[in-house]
Amino acid sequence: MQRIEISERDDWKSQAEALGFNFHTMYGEPYWDETACYQFTLAQIENDIEDPSAEIEAMCFDVVTRAIDDEEVLSKLAIPEDFWTCIRDSWLNREKNLYGRLDLSYDGKGPAKLLEYNADTPTALYESSAFQWLWLEQALEREIIPSGCDQFNSIHEQMIDAFKRFEIDGRLHLASCEGSEEDEGTVRYIEECAQQAGLETSFLHMEDIGIDANGHFTDRDDMTIQNLFKLYPWEWMMLDDFGKAVPKSGVTFIEPAWRAILSNKGLLPLLWEMFEGHPNLLPAWFADDPRAADLEGGYVRKPLLSREGANVEMVRPGEEPLAIEGPYGAEGYVIQALHPLPVFDGNHTVIGSWLVASQPCGIGIREDNSPVTKDSSRFVPHVIYG
Amino acid sequence: MKRSKSLKLLMMGATAITLVACDEPQDVAVFENVEQCAKQEGFSSDFCETNFKTAQTEHVRVAPKYTSVEDCEVDFGAEKCEIAPQRTSSGGSVFMPLMMGYMMGNMLSGGSRAASQPLYRSSGDAKNFRTGDNHKVGSKTGITKVSSQVARAPSTKTSTIRRGGFGKTAARTAGRFRSFGG
Repeated sequence: MQRIEISERDDWKSQAEALGFNFHTMYGEPYWDETACYQFTLAQIENDIEDPSAEIEAMCFDVVTRAIDDEEVLSKLAIPEDFWTCIRDSWLNREKNLYGRLDLSYDGKGPAKLLEYNADTPTALYESSAFQWLWLEQALEREIIPSGCDQFNSIHEQMIDAFKRFEIDGRLHLASCEGSEEDEGTVRYIEECAQQAGLETSFLHMEDIGIDANGHFTDRDDMTIQNLFKLYPWEWMMLDDFGKAVPKSGVTFIEPAWRAILSNKGLLPLLWEMFEGHPNLLPAWFADDPRAADLEGGYVRKPLLSREGANVEMVRPGEEPLAIEGPYGAEGYVIQALHPLPVFDGNHTVIGSWLVASQPCGIGIREDNSPVTKDSSRFVPHVIYG
Repeated sequence: MKRSKSLKLLMMGATAITLVACDEPQDVAVFENVEQCAKQEGFSSDFCETNFKTAQTEHVRVAPKYTSVEDCEVDFGAEKCEIAPQRTSSGGSVFMPLMMGYMMGNMLSGGSRAASQPLYRSSGDAKNFRTGDNHKVGSKTGITKVSSQVARAPSTKTSTIRRGGFGKTAARTAGRFRSFGG
């Protein structure tokens, strides 16, 4: 695994804009960055990322199987009691999951370590699936990279296949929150995958969803919502006014409610408890666990529910603690052993390993100037070569 | 190869129009009322009457629903709305547009079995008939052709009693983030 500086396609911005990828630059800083790419060997991709991702997914399913029947676990995850049955039923009824992103710390040597699982509302999908793919094809064509380069990225094909297998009855509604171009772009891309799989779709904002007298959710045309893809976290739906109506709404949700167990940072101590010593896991405990105090060599404290690195605190031996501010943390924290991200040319690099319908099928790499990946991180493409 | 073999890059959010391209148009008959229907060559008044009744029953099920008459009239015009038989959970009235016509399969062409359904006229486009699912049928009465999507049985309409029950937690917790995902 190495970072290689390369030349940009001179027209990438105009192509991005023509395709509707409008969030390629944010806060005046580049988000999509093709002045470099990461190179992996096929063995690194297959043995160190693809296979471990499948293994982690299998372990996660064991955690869900345990959690749904364990009230102590559900309480520790700070999941409101009103939703325990709904989560349990969604798992027992095998409601299908669409996609997720495992964030891994990996430097090309040694086992990749799981930092967290974005199992409910992952973003950076379009960049990974479509724009990165386009970059590879054009970089090959324009001889920016040597011929024979490949990419771990069949995300797009897998998304369409997954939608074909979903057996969705009726229209699929897709929703994101108002005011986030990135989220809306991600959902619009997912909508396109669904359409290419032959589904009838409608996009709306979460704020536009209505409710009728029978407790069914409605769209802006007063049509009943039967299937809803929501880029909106389960833990927020549970707290919202309409949350109470969710269990009896008759809606099939994507992601299903059981994903709330996996997108919670409490997954990390649960995995460690059940699979202690697994090469792809880091020691982790709930913050109130006395064993958390025994961690040597530094740790990271993460809120159970947080996004984009907010409220993460990193404690390193001999260094000042590094704290990222944010609005989360009221529900509690987990402590995870420190496994600093590898640094390439001064960039801290995290690998997002994508699973579609639980199959590992691609990666997206983000770089940050700081050891904690935040929403200001850049997306850098990758190749498989050699 | 570890990557997608091909990737159709449409613009995000662009409407996929390919889905209707292979759609086969259907023969239908469109009338404002039973009398107009009965004047159509080959249409008996019994047939017209039966289909009108079917459409009237469907009207209650498929017409757009509103909890205020004003909202309904914005979409369908002044005095173009009536009280629906449905009630809100708190017992309030529900409103729906008046049925302005009906559409059925053309019995003469034999091939079309489309069930009879009500038609509406919106205030913004009053010359055209629209289905309960807001598909444009056109302004022509008598025998005409529509896509099978238009001829399909419309969905059940309910009346939304409240909106905006999702999204508050996002606004409260994460207002300054560029993404609510992660």
